Amino acid sequence: MMFDHDEDKFAEWLQHAAKTYHDPRPTPRDEMWTRIEAGRAARRVIALRPWARWTLAAAAVLVLGIGIGRWTAQQRNGGPAGTPVASADTANRDLLYQVAATQYLSRTETFLTGFRADLRAGRADTRFPGQARDLLTTTRLLLDSPAADDPRMRGLLEDLELVLVQISQLPAARQRHDTDLITQGMDQRSVLPKLRSAIPAGPVPVRTQGAT
Amino acid sequence: MDERDLINRVRAGDGIAERALYDAHVDRVYRLAYRLAGDDALAQDFTQETFIRAFEKLDTFRGDSALSTWLHAITTTVVLNGLRKVKRFHKREADLEAADGVTGGPRQAEPDLKVRLRQAIDALPQGYRTVFVMHDIEGFTHEEIGVALGVETGTSKAQLSRARAKLRESLADFAGEWVT
Repeated sequence: MMFDHDEDKFAEWLQHAAKTYHDPRPTPRDEMWTRIEAGRAARRVIALRPWARWTLAAAAVLVLGIGIGRWTAQQRNGGPAGTPVASADTANRDLLYQVAATQYLSRTETFLTGFRADLRAGRADTRFPGQARDLLTTTRLLLDSPAADDPRMRGLLEDLELVLVQISQLPAARQRHDTDLITQGMDQRSVLPKLRSAIPAGPVPVRTQGAT
Repeated sequence: MDERDLINRVRAGDGIAERALYDAHVDRVYRLAYRLAGDDALAQDFTQETFIRAFEKLDTFRGDSALSTWLHAITTTVVLNGLRKVKRFHKREADLEAADGVTGGPRQAEPDLKVRLRQAIDALPQGYRTVFVMHDIEGFTHEEIGVALGVETGTSKAQLSRARAKLRESLADFAGEWVT
C-alpha cells in the first residue's frame, strides 16, 4: 500500500516536473503556414504538369540505370532488355531522362565542389544553405522514387541527404568545427568520388546503362 | 463551424477552410512535435510535413475517429520517422567527433534536477518516451495514444508504467523531491 502511495506521489510529481521538458515556444503559425502553402504548391506543380512528372520519373530511372551501370559489374553487360531506360520507346522520353538526371547529379556535384573550394579558401558564402535546401528537396524525391530501390544508389542518395542537411543547417555565424564535420563526413564516405562516378562522362547526351 | 463541414469545404478546395482547419489544430501538433523533437527547426519541419500530408490525404479520412486523432497519428509517424533520420545523422557526427578526439571524458553527474530529468527522459527507449511525453506531458489519453501509435491501449499503459519506473530509478537521488 505504501508502495502504491509512493508510486502515485512520484507520478504526480513527475507530471508536474516534466512540464519543463522540451517546453515549446509559442506556435509560429504564420511562418509555418507560408511554408506549408509553398510546399503544397510545389507538389501540385509536380502532380499537375505531365512534363514535370516525367522529368522526375526520368531522373529516378536514369539515376538507377547509371548507378547500376557504374557499380554493378554483373549488370554492366546485361544488355538493354532488363533496364528501365532501355524500355523507353521514344526519343523525347530518353532525352528527358538524360537531361533531368544530368542536371541533378551535376548540380549536386558542382555545388559540393564549390562548397569545399570556398571552405578551403576561407570564404563563407551565405547562399550555400539555401542552395542545399533546394537540392535536398530533389534528393528526397529521388529517395522516395524507384531510384532508391538499388541499395548502392540509396546509399549515395542518403549520404547526399545527410551532407545537404548539414549544409542547409549551417548557422550564419558558422564555426570551423561545423564545417570540418561536414568535410570529414564527405571524405570518410567518399561522397564526391561516388557522386562523380555516377555522373556520366562528357556532356549530354548521357550514355546510359544499356544504351549502345 | 462544424468539423464535418470544415472538412467538406477543405475537400472542395476552399482556402479559407484550409487555414481554419490548420488554425484549429496546429498548436497541438506543433507542441507534440516540439516535445518529441526538442528542437524548434525540426518541430516546424515535422508540423509542416504533417499538414501537407493531411491535406493531401484528407480524402481518405473516413471520420471513424476525430480529425485531431487522425492528425496526431500522422504527426507521430512523421516525427518518429524524422527522428530516426536525425538519430542517424547525430550518430555520424558523434562517430566523427570520436574519431577526432573532439569529445571529452564521461559526462559529469548533473546536480540540477531540470537537466537530469531531461537527460533521463531523453534516455528512455523511443516507445516509452513517446508514450510518456504524450500522456504525462501533453495530456493525451491512452485511447488517443493507442490510435496515434497503432498500438493497444494496454500497451500504452504498460509503456507508461515502465517509463515512469525507469525515470524513478534514474532520479532516485532526487527522491526527497516527491517523498515528503
